[in-house]
Amino acid sequence: MRLWRVVLLMNLALGLGLLVGYLVWGRPLEGLRRENAELRGQALPAGVERTFRARGVVRAVVAEINVIVLSHEDIPGFMPPMTMGFRAQDPKLYDGVAVGDVLAFTLRGVPPNLVITELRKEGRL
Amino acid sequence: MSGASTVLRWAHLLSALVLVGVFGFSLLAGRPSHPTARAWERRMLALARGAGIAALVTGAGLLALHAAYVAGRPGAALEPAAWLRVLTATQFGAVWLLRAGVIALLVALVWAREREDSTADWAALRGQAWLLAAAGAGALAWAGHAAAVEPGGAWALASDLVHLIGAGVWLGALAPLHLLLRAASTPEGADARPYAVVAARRFSRLALIAMLTLAATGLWNAWEQLGDIPSLIGTRYGWLLLLKLGLLVPILALAAVNRGRLVPALGGDAASVGRPAMARLARFVAAEWLIALAILAVVAVLGTTPPGRHDAPWWPLSFRLSWEATAALPGVRTRFLIGSQLAVVGVLGLVVAVLLSRARLLAAFAGLLLVAIGLGVALPPLSVDAYPTTYRRTTVPYQASSIAHGLELYRNHCALCHGAAGWGDGPAGTGLPKKPADLTAPHTAQHTAGDMYWWLTHGIPAAGMPAFGPVLSEDDRWDLVNYIRALAAGEEARMLSPAVIANRPRLAAPDGAFAVGPAPGRHLKDFRGNRSVLLVFFTLPGSHARLALLARSYETLQALATEIVAVPLEEDGPVIARLGANPPIYYPVVTEGAPEIARAYGLFRRTLSPEGMKPDPPMPRHIELLIDRAGYLRGRWIPGEPGAGWAEVSALVAELQALNREAPAPPPAEHVH
Repeated sequence: MRLWRVVLLMNLALGLGLLVGYLVWGRPLEGLRRENAELRGQALPAGVERTFRARGVVRAVVAEINVIVLSHEDIPGFMPPMTMGFRAQDPKLYDGVAVGDVLAFTLRGVPPNLVITELRKEGRL
Repeated sequence: MSGASTVLRWAHLLSALVLVGVFGFSLLAGRPSHPTARAWERRMLALARGAGIAALVTGAGLLALHAAYVAGRPGAALEPAAWLRVLTATQFGAVWLLRAGVIALLVALVWAREREDSTADWAALRGQAWLLAAAGAGALAWAGHAAAVEPGGAWALASDLVHLIGAGVWLGALAPLHLLLRAASTPEGADARPYAVVAARRFSRLALIAMLTLAATGLWNAWEQLGDIPSLIGTRYGWLLLLKLGLLVPILALAAVNRGRLVPALGGDAASVGRPAMARLARFVAAEWLIALAILAVVAVLGTTPPGRHDAPWWPLSFRLSWEATAALPGVRTRFLIGSQLAVVGVLGLVVAVLLSRARLLAAFAGLLLVAIGLGVALPPLSVDAYPTTYRRTTVPYQASSIAHGLELYRNHCALCHGAAGWGDGPAGTGLPKKPADLTAPHTAQHTAGDMYWWLTHGIPAAGMPAFGPVLSEDDRWDLVNYIRALAAGEEARMLSPAVIANRPRLAAPDGAFAVGPAPGRHLKDFRGNRSVLLVFFTLPGSHARLALLARSYETLQALATEIVAVPLEEDGPVIARLGANPPIYYPVVTEGAPEIARAYGLFRRTLSPEGMKPDPPMPRHIELLIDRAGYLRGRWIPGEPGAGWAEVSALVAELQALNREAPAPPPAEHVH
């Protein structure tokens, strides 16, 4: 066969290889990346009950409306560290809890509706 | 290990570039029709085969060395498993696979037999081979320093890619050109002479373009990897680049002779002019080739040397030129202005000299003289003392913990002579040959952090300052440098008031790490770019009413993109608990890191009042500092000062609104400079 035809074929093969490679790996990869980004946006499967444990310091207790405000550490899979209000499953949990207490607490429920089901005092700040 | 790696890199780079050059030159010269030139061309194909195999073998060697490096033990160089890991899991591996594939394809292609009579075959083979060779050489950019440049990586990569291919086109063609000229300059090879003359002329033009491209992309690459002048003349990387540049000078001289004298003479009478010129051109090209091999050796070393911008520059001169440090001195501006104007006129003279046909030498001489005189007038006033560490970048950022530690060190080692406030008025300073420096004076800002580091390390023998190098660790000395910067900033901070001065971000707010309860630590710096910070230093119970007021206004302040960070000045008991539940306080109250932040920011407590002018006024019980979104200290309120200050939150809100209207300033320098 003439060499220039060989070269032509070689380039065709290279181009075809690139195309097939992109179709086989590139596009699924892109899809995976997109799915990954979407999943990160809504880290939780909907409608499934979850449990999280974390620690935080009490900033306010407003028992009348069933809210306790905590500055808490990172809750992996649920929320980054921040200061925010939580509700307790049973308002009796607030008994004896004061501002400045460091708590280890458990959140349970179907996100985003989680309530504190347990808490334990660890110290005072 | 590193010696072997350098030799391998050199050989690999050389073979990759030769591949580009051989086929580029072949395409440039065209298809030969006479026996000598055809014999030369067959040799070129053999050379290409050799270079291709050499590139594959040295590439395998480099892969083995890289595998050993990644695995952290020499034995891994011979383990296929380690190779596989590098190939599948690293960018080096991906680039390596691509390049090895391309070069293998190239070698296979060159082995194919071509029909002697087909021009299409000839062109297809060389064109394809050149493209593959250029891909193989250009992809090296993704395995080098350019691939690590952030941000603007794409431009750095493109520049490096063009540089590599340009180097191949020029440098790789020198050996083929030499061989062709040598063969054609003998009486037996006379049939190839017209072919060689055409090839040499075409290459001469191409080489000029390649040189200009190499210079432009080379300068760009150098700037990306160095970033400033001290990195050029003070780091190993910079010296190697200068060496590379120095090696280029003889090459350019040879090229000028070739282009100006020898190439035009090639077409002359065969026996008396043409052939001797060709023989000499062949020798000169060989000389260029040898120097180019040396340049490649420098490049091979450069590839394993940390780029200048990541290295600590070692300033070799005893002076440096600084406009910032000298502009305020009397007469400096005038002299600089006069000198620079003289130099500009001189440069104009040089330009005129190039355009003139008569009196060219005279004009050039006068121009050079003017430039020299101009620089002689303009530059000496800008010179200030410099030390080897002058441009050393501190490894310790400007942050509260470093400053607080520096303060402690200062009290123990420095205050005796330099005084508690750094005014140079310490009790032990009076007996010294020279009065200790006032560390808060404006001149402090004219010295680099590296200057101070040098004095701290080696002392100033003539002035009686001792050397602390043997006493304090490297980090300790940098902590002291950070403290002195904060001390000088504290002197300037006396101007701070509750009224923000618009568009005057000057005082960098030191960073500081803090935590609230069990939440992970945060940095004051994290707010930069999106929030102003009201840093409230408080003492209980006196500050309680103020903190309660801020708590009730927290939503308003947050709406103005402002965070409140409350830092206790005293640590006695649980601070959040003591603040109580009424009203609830939701802004961060620092429970970890408070003492360091309080001590560092305490340096900004001095005011313009008679009390605040004292060297070491007591820390107020309550003080509020306003840090703008860019990270500069902009305002301060100490309750009890004359005027209402920020006692009403509405006054604070007005200042924040003014800050929010300002155009964002660039963030302050991370390190003292």
